[in-house]
Amino acid sequence: MPIHDLGYRSWQGQRDPGIARLWVVAQTDARLAWQSRWLRRMLLVAWLPAVYLGLAFFLFEQALTQPTALRMAAEFLGQFPQSEVVGEALQTEDRAQARHQVWSWLLLTFFRYPQGLLMALVVGLVAPRLIARDVQSRAFLLYFSRPLARLEYLLGKLLVVCGYVMMITTLPALALYGVGVFLSPPEFDVVASTWDLPLRILAASAVLMIPTATLALAFSSLTTRTVYAGFAWFAYWVLGLVSYVMLVTSVDKLDSETWVLLSLYHTLGRVQHWIFGIPLSLGGQTSFSDVLAPAALLAGMAVVSLMVLFRRISSPMRI
Amino acid sequence: MCDRYGAWAGCMDTVLKLDNLTKHYGPVQALDDVSLSIGPGVTGLLGPNGAGKTTLVKVLLGLVRITRGSGQVLGYDLRRQVRSIRHRVGFMPEDDCYMTGLPGVEMVRYLARLSGLPSVEALRRAHEILDYCGIEQERYRPVETYSTGMRQKLKFAQAIVHDPPLLILDEPTSGLDPEEREAMLGRVRALARRAGKAVLVSTHILPDVQAICDSVVILAQGRVRIVERLDVLSRPAAPAFHVRVFGRPEALAQRIRSEGLDVHQAADGTLTVANAEQSVADRIWSWARAVGVGIRALRPTQNSLEEIFLQAVREDDRAHP
Repeated sequence: MPIHDLGYRSWQGQRDPGIARLWVVAQTDARLAWQSRWLRRMLLVAWLPAVYLGLAFFLFEQALTQPTALRMAAEFLGQFPQSEVVGEALQTEDRAQARHQVWSWLLLTFFRYPQGLLMALVVGLVAPRLIARDVQSRAFLLYFSRPLARLEYLLGKLLVVCGYVMMITTLPALALYGVGVFLSPPEFDVVASTWDLPLRILAASAVLMIPTATLALAFSSLTTRTVYAGFAWFAYWVLGLVSYVMLVTSVDKLDSETWVLLSLYHTLGRVQHWIFGIPLSLGGQTSFSDVLAPAALLAGMAVVSLMVLFRRISSPMRI
Repeated sequence: MCDRYGAWAGCMDTVLKLDNLTKHYGPVQALDDVSLSIGPGVTGLLGPNGAGKTTLVKVLLGLVRITRGSGQVLGYDLRRQVRSIRHRVGFMPEDDCYMTGLPGVEMVRYLARLSGLPSVEALRRAHEILDYCGIEQERYRPVETYSTGMRQKLKFAQAIVHDPPLLILDEPTSGLDPEEREAMLGRVRALARRAGKAVLVSTHILPDVQAICDSVVILAQGRVRIVERLDVLSRPAAPAFHVRVFGRPEALAQRIRSEGLDVHQAADGTLTVANAEQSVADRIWSWARAVGVGIRALRPTQNSLEEIFLQAVREDDRAHP
């Protein structure tokens, strides 16, 4: 018995408002996820592409102001997919328009290629255990005997996944934009011509986060074993990607836009192209009608996942 | 309605009140027209498996929706004021619930924060309550490494950490060794008597009920069979005494019979003097002295809770086979 034990004492203090519960759930689970050494390493690695693309911003800005740097910039930027965007942009007289186009393309490249894959890994490390662990340890009765709504619980869990995804997508992308502004000539025109890019970054992050986080959490809620939830997430991701790539490369005259919905990676990519205003092919247009099917699939995926989540969270209470 | 979060005593006369409450799970009727009213103190919720105890507890916490009927917990409506109820109720589930990966103290702190305690205060309070519950250095170990008894204490700690006026404890002594069981019952008793908490204990262990409860609710097949104070229930319909003696009980039995009283002798020699008022007790002492036997024990007979429970359940079986 501790020497300072005073028996039971009542507690009378000011309670936190209801909205704080959601934050408490998110904070605690984020802290638990942070204990994973692999996750910490992953987050560190996830910033390396941003550093590399920061160099691309630097060289492009150099090319705009110093024609001698054009060749080096062209060589460096030429290694990225759809680099013809740079040539097209540099042909225009309007420097602001060229900057907007190339920055959008660089940010799309950042979201689409390195972060698209890293995001799958980070979500796969964080999300599977979030609800599966509570199902396994039957913690729902502890949660919901408190003044915590099921929606708050769910939003708290979603915040954890979204928070980690933002750490590897939104934050470095905004940092890249900041680097671009910092390296460009100190003119108001630069910000005026690119003000929409931070908003596009936020939109692209939301498109990336919401369907993937809800889907991964839905997998997590369907099992008591974290490993199964993780396997389901990676299996869906990899099988879709491989199937689509195999179909496109092996079948002649295949309508790739129809089959793109097979692959979550490519579906997300289509919508991100539209968000950043970069057409899939040189000279093409980006209109919402082109991404209607991918956008509908992602929205449907989020809605169905949320329905599964609500049902699974409520099921222990139905017994 | 009780506006205060903590102490309950003196706030209201009725802790919970249910009117014609019915709950269906599809075709299964878990609760059937349950009407009852429970006051302060410790109330035992008894019933055989499948009687509807767990459903009733979930209804009180707003975890399942009522099919029909109405009710109030601490003056708050069961349908519309669930959040206010949960603020003021501490629930200890029967299931082995815990939060994987968290040390014991962090789990209690986490649940305190979910009840609205500020971060630092939640940690201080968690330590204070773990001290009270007898969890010492183990509080820094992850909860999944705890023994069943430790988890039971941890569940109790999380139920009281936010100082609720009403505690709902589902099988609080399950998995505890005799010493810990005694300590747990002592804590429940102390919380009810000294801290003014209202306590609803759902259990199968009848000695626990007799040890701590003031009132009893017996459920069977989703219906309320008995709601009564334990001392009233224990009182037999006609007063009687049990007498155990040193020496020959036959001599005393014969003497009592000669006084016109009805007496039965059990196989172990215990005499039961039926239809005897309190004044008979004094006379039994003198009769024993007269026939030369010593009285080892003389106590009024009480209905055993086990008999009451079995009778209530059997009556229900006969009424609704």
